[in-house]
Order: sequence, then structure tokens, then C-alpha cells
Amino acid sequence: MSALVALEPAGLRRLLKGGLRRGLSRDDLAALLQNEWQLDWDSQEARALLQALCDRSWFQVSPDGMVWKTRLS
Amino acid sequence: MTRILAIHSFRGGTGKSNLTANLATAIALKGKKVAIFDTDLASPGVHVLFGCSPQPGQCTLNDHLQGSTSIHQCVHDVTPEQVKQAHGRLWLVPAAMDSDRIARLLREGYEVEKLNDAFFELSDHLHLDYVLVDTHPGINEETLLSAAIADCLLMIMRPDSQDYLGTAVAIEVAERLDVPAIRMVVNKLPQHFDQQQVKDRVASSYEVPIGAVLPLSEDLLTLASGGLALLTFPTHPWSQGVHELADELMLRVLA
Repeated sequence: MSALVALEPAGLRRLLKGGLRRGLSRDDLAALLQNEWQLDWDSQEARALLQALCDRSWFQVSPDGMVWKTRLS
Repeated sequence: MTRILAIHSFRGGTGKSNLTANLATAIALKGKKVAIFDTDLASPGVHVLFGCSPQPGQCTLNDHLQGSTSIHQCVHDVTPEQVKQAHGRLWLVPAAMDSDRIARLLREGYEVEKLNDAFFELSDHLHLDYVLVDTHPGINEETLLSAAIADCLLMIMRPDSQDYLGTAVAIEVAERLDVPAIRMVVNKLPQHFDQQQVKDRVASSYEVPIGAVLPLSEDLLTLASGGLALLTFPTHPWSQGVHELADELMLRVLA
């Protein structure tokens, strides 16, 4: 969680914070990417961003692909 | 939808746990279903106010965080009779008081997001209206998580220079985490302090709305966490202040 506080830019903090609580639905994540990063869900940049977060194990998607959860421990 | 209220102070001794227990009671007296999580895993104390000490074999939050115990098994019904009569309910998820368990948790740690999931799993299971999270003083993983997921962060402080400085740090962290609402509570205000001057100083220092200014009370000192002041001294100015804070939170901040 201390990693979350230290992250820049603010949009990245909001993205990972959104994956806490009950997690983010695919629609909510798509909306956040659009609002914070002006990225379309299907864009290469969006896929790269989400993949980078998954590679760090900071972000996980449920097996059915419908819920995104933050894991910063 | 369950609302989460995180109660925090930068330093110990502000009366945070006492306020958490009494505030939860005030909300439950309005007919609400409320759970308290004692996430002060290093120095738990909320259970004392309810006269609830987990017995051997009874589960605590530690069993969930460091084992496979369901959070459902770790919750204890602590509803006072007056709350039952008001059709409210009050539950507590206590932290272990056993020194070995505390040492083990501090040594081994746990996945803090498991705590996050526990809040919502219990909310669904008990159909909670409110979850109050009593946090450990200072900045640590639990307080950061609680701030990140809270609908409102209640910052408790005393009118003391060290508290003023430390609280500024905590508020800065909360703002980086985009906490939707923050409210200040000045507790243990000595009688000879000018309440308006204190309010003005706090308001100008943090630019955060004041939730309450609560008096230092000889009656509470005498009670010494031996019970809930709200029920023992219901007409005391401190208790009235807690009721007003509960109303403000329920009707405006968390509505």
C-alpha cells in the first residue's frame, strides 16, 4: 500500500485504487482508462499499461476476465 | 450499499478507539447494522469497551489474515440492549490480544488486500449499513488501505502541537489517495481552551471540515474504557457531541 501512495502520476494511483474494494468491472476499468489516460480499451497503449501492471503482479484479472483487482503486497 | 468509515490518528492517546466504539454505537442506535474492525493489530483495544474478550477457541481477525478461517467466524455480536431495542445491530471483528499472536503477525506479516476483501465479504454476509475501521496510529499498511477504500476518513487529534504536525502528514497522504471525504475531530479539549479558537486553528491548518470538537471529560477518565460512555453518560456533552457527529456523517457525509 505504501507503493500506491508513492506512485506517479496520479492517474496510476487512481487506477490501482480502483482495483481495491470490490475491484473494477471491465466496464469501469474501460471508463477509467478513457477518463484518466484518454485510452480506448482496445488500444495498444491500454493493453501495454494493463500488461505492465500484471507483470508486476500489481493488478490481477479474474478467470472470467470480468473483475480487475489490485494486489500491492 | 455499505459505507466505510476509517478512523485514524497520527499518534496514540487521542481516544480513537473509544470514539470508534461510541460512534458505532450512536449509529447503531439509529437502527443501523454496524460492524467494527479492530485493525490495530499491534495494540488492539476496542473489544475492552464492549466487555468482549475472545476466549480460547474463538476466532479473531488474526486467524483470518494469517490462516484459512473465514471472516464470518471472526465476527462477534456485541449489540448492547439499548441498541437492540432501537432495532440496530453491532458486531466486532476483534484483533488477537495474545502476545504470541501479535508477535507472529508483526514478524510474518500478511497480504493486506486480504483485509480489503474481508470488509466486503462481511458487509455482504451481514447486510451491513456501515463498517467502522479502527486503525493503528501512524502511517502503516493497514491505515493506508483503510484510507484508500474509505468513503470517509475521520482524523482524530488532540489540541497538541505534536498532533497538529503529525495530522498534517496523514491528511496529505489521504489526499494523495483521493479519499472522498475527510473530517477532523478534536478530542479531549480541556475546559479552559477556547473552542472557537481551536476550530479556527484546525480549519486554517488543514482546510478540512470539522466533524466535532469533543471535551476532555473527567467522567470518561473515570470510566477508563470500562464501558461505552454513550450509554453510561448519555446526556454528557461528550456523548451529545458523538451523537451529533453520527448524524452529520449519516445524513450528509455518507448519505
